[in-house]
This record gives sequence, structure tokens and C-alpha cells, in this order.
Amino acid sequence: MSAWKAAGLTYNRYLAVAARAVRRSLKEEKRLAAERRGQQDLRFAKWTNGKQGEVRNLAEANAQQAVENAAA
Amino acid sequence: MLSRAARPALRAGAAVSSRAVAPSAGFATLREIEGRLKSIRNIEKITNTMKIVASTKLTRAQRAMTDSRKYGETSNEVYQSAETKPLEGEGKKKLLVVCSSDKGLCGGIHSGLSRYIRRRALEDSNFDLVILGEKCRTQLQRTQAKEIVLNFAGVGKDIPTFAEAQAIADQIINLSGDYSGVEVIYNRFINATSYEPSSIPAFDVEAFTASPNFAAFEVDEEVLSNLREFALANSIYWALTEGHACEISARRNAMDNASKNAGEMIGKYQILFNRTRQAVITGELVEIITGAVASEEM
Repeated sequence: MSAWKAAGLTYNRYLAVAARAVRRSLKEEKRLAAERRGQQDLRFAKWTNGKQGEVRNLAEANAQQAVENAAA
Repeated sequence: MLSRAARPALRAGAAVSSRAVAPSAGFATLREIEGRLKSIRNIEKITNTMKIVASTKLTRAQRAMTDSRKYGETSNEVYQSAETKPLEGEGKKKLLVVCSSDKGLCGGIHSGLSRYIRRRALEDSNFDLVILGEKCRTQLQRTQAKEIVLNFAGVGKDIPTFAEAQAIADQIINLSGDYSGVEVIYNRFINATSYEPSSIPAFDVEAFTASPNFAAFEVDEEVLSNLREFALANSIYWALTEGHACEISARRNAMDNASKNAGEMIGKYQILFNRTRQAVITGELVEIITGAVASEEM
């Protein structure tokens, strides 16, 4: 099993981390344009029985999930 | 935001138009007509500006759409050559991912998606919903609230990024439900004036391994779940960008029409205003002259 999977990351998260590392190592002028492509500011909520749950930040929730998956 | 602020004004404009049909019913004073004329002019300014903003965004959005469509199609090619079919899971639910956005004032593209979902619900209501964007959420929670499992907000502020699609796909994959398949519902861009709700299938690992041409590929079992996650993110990215381009294009059209209607109303009211002004002046003249004549004869 690959190391990132053992750390609880999904494939998409693994890709996102790799992409971020590449973006950060670019030269200054290219980096600014590239980092804009990596931005996301989404919120989400889970629904149960037709009721909306608590609205949370997606990036934080994903990070938390990775921690839980790693522990499991 | 502008869109919210403009709403009462638009409603006021609509109310004015219904009154304009029968101007003889209540004789409007000059001041009233002037006030309405001014407010319609302001609405025209707003809609016109929104149209210009949408037009400038449109080229970029369309370029992103063509790129992401090619990208998504390429990503799905592997399933096509494997001739993957969605599994006929008895009693298992399907998961529908609806790609709308947070912003309105763009014609009927969000309600087009909602209607599509309701039509699907009439045929076969055995599905759960993941909704991207506030607009479809408010529309669908009235009728389909029980089916919603996740909703995302903050979609469609700008051209969607792949990072967004990945983050969304991550949450969807971690859903606890057991689904027979995932479908991504989005507005397909046919041309600048017509859009059509369509779906992209996203296959499960089992569906892929069960496909007739699966033997043509040499893959490790381990990688398959990665492929599934990645393909889902690709499909969502494609759907989001194409939906975004549709929305901008629809907004441009809607604002174009609104400006045109406002222009018509301004013309009508200008004529009415001039006529009334004339009538008032004539009335005053008649009063003065009759007064003068009457006092002369005394």
C-alpha cells in the first residue's frame, strides 16, 4: 500500500497536495497565476431526513476526514 | 450584491407595466409618471451593466468550457472502450449530483435542472441528491428534501477550478450510502440560447470490472478505486465548467431582454409624460383665457 493511502488521503487529495507543491515551486510571476487555480472556498452541509445540518468549511472537513481515515 | 438589491426594483417595474395597460383608469399626475420613468431608467442602467459584465466573462467561460469538455471526454474514453454499463443494482439507490450555482438572474437554467430532477423522480424516485449551489437547493428542498444528502455552497462565483471539483468529489466518495451508480447532472451548452439538462455517468469499481472489454486493460486491482475517484472529480469539473458557461450566457441573454423591455417602457412612458404635460398646459391656458374673457364681459 502506498504511503499516502496509509496516511488516510484519498487519491484526489494526494493529487491536490502534489499540485500545490508544484505550484509553490514555480517562479514568482507564473506562481501567482497558478495559485489562483488552486483556490477553493466552498462550504457544505450534510442533510438528514430532509433537514439541513450544520454548514461547514469544505477544506477543513476534508482535512479532518483524512486524519480520521489515517487513525482507522 | 447587486442581484439582490435589484429585485424589489424589478418587481416595482413589473407592477408599473400592469398599470400601464390601462392609463385611463386612474389619471396619473405628471409627478407620478416622472417618478416611474426615473426608476425604469435606473433599472435599465443596472440590467445593461450586468449584461456587459456577463458578456466580458462569457469568452473566458466558454474557453474554459471547451477545454474541460475535451478533458472530461478523454477521461471517460477508458469507460467507453471498456463498454462499461451501469450496474443494475436491485433496490440500490442512485446518487445524482446536481451542478447549479449560487447566483440567480440568469433565466431558467436552474429551474431547468430542478424540473429535470422532478421528472426523474416521477419515473423512478429511488435516488439520493447531492446539490452544488444554493439555487437548486432552495428549489429542490421544497419537493425533494428527503432525498438530499449533501449540499455545497460557494459554487460558481468564478470559473470553477479543478481543486473545487476534487474537494467535492472527496466528500461524495466518503458518503456512507451504498449506491448503484453516480450520475452528474448539468446544463449542456448547445448554443448561445439553448441549454439542456444532461447527465454524465460516473462508474463504480464493480461496474468497471464487470464491463465486457475489461480484459483489454492491464491494471492492478489497487489502482481501480483511485481511477474511480479521479474520474468522478473529472466529471464534476466538466459539469461545473459547462454549467458555469451556460449560466453566464443565459445571464447575458436575460439581461439583454430586460434592457430591451426597459427601453420599450421608457419610450411608452416618455410619450405618456409628454402628452400629459401638454394636456396640463392646455388645461391651464383654457382656464386663464376663460377667466380673462369672463372678467372682460363683466
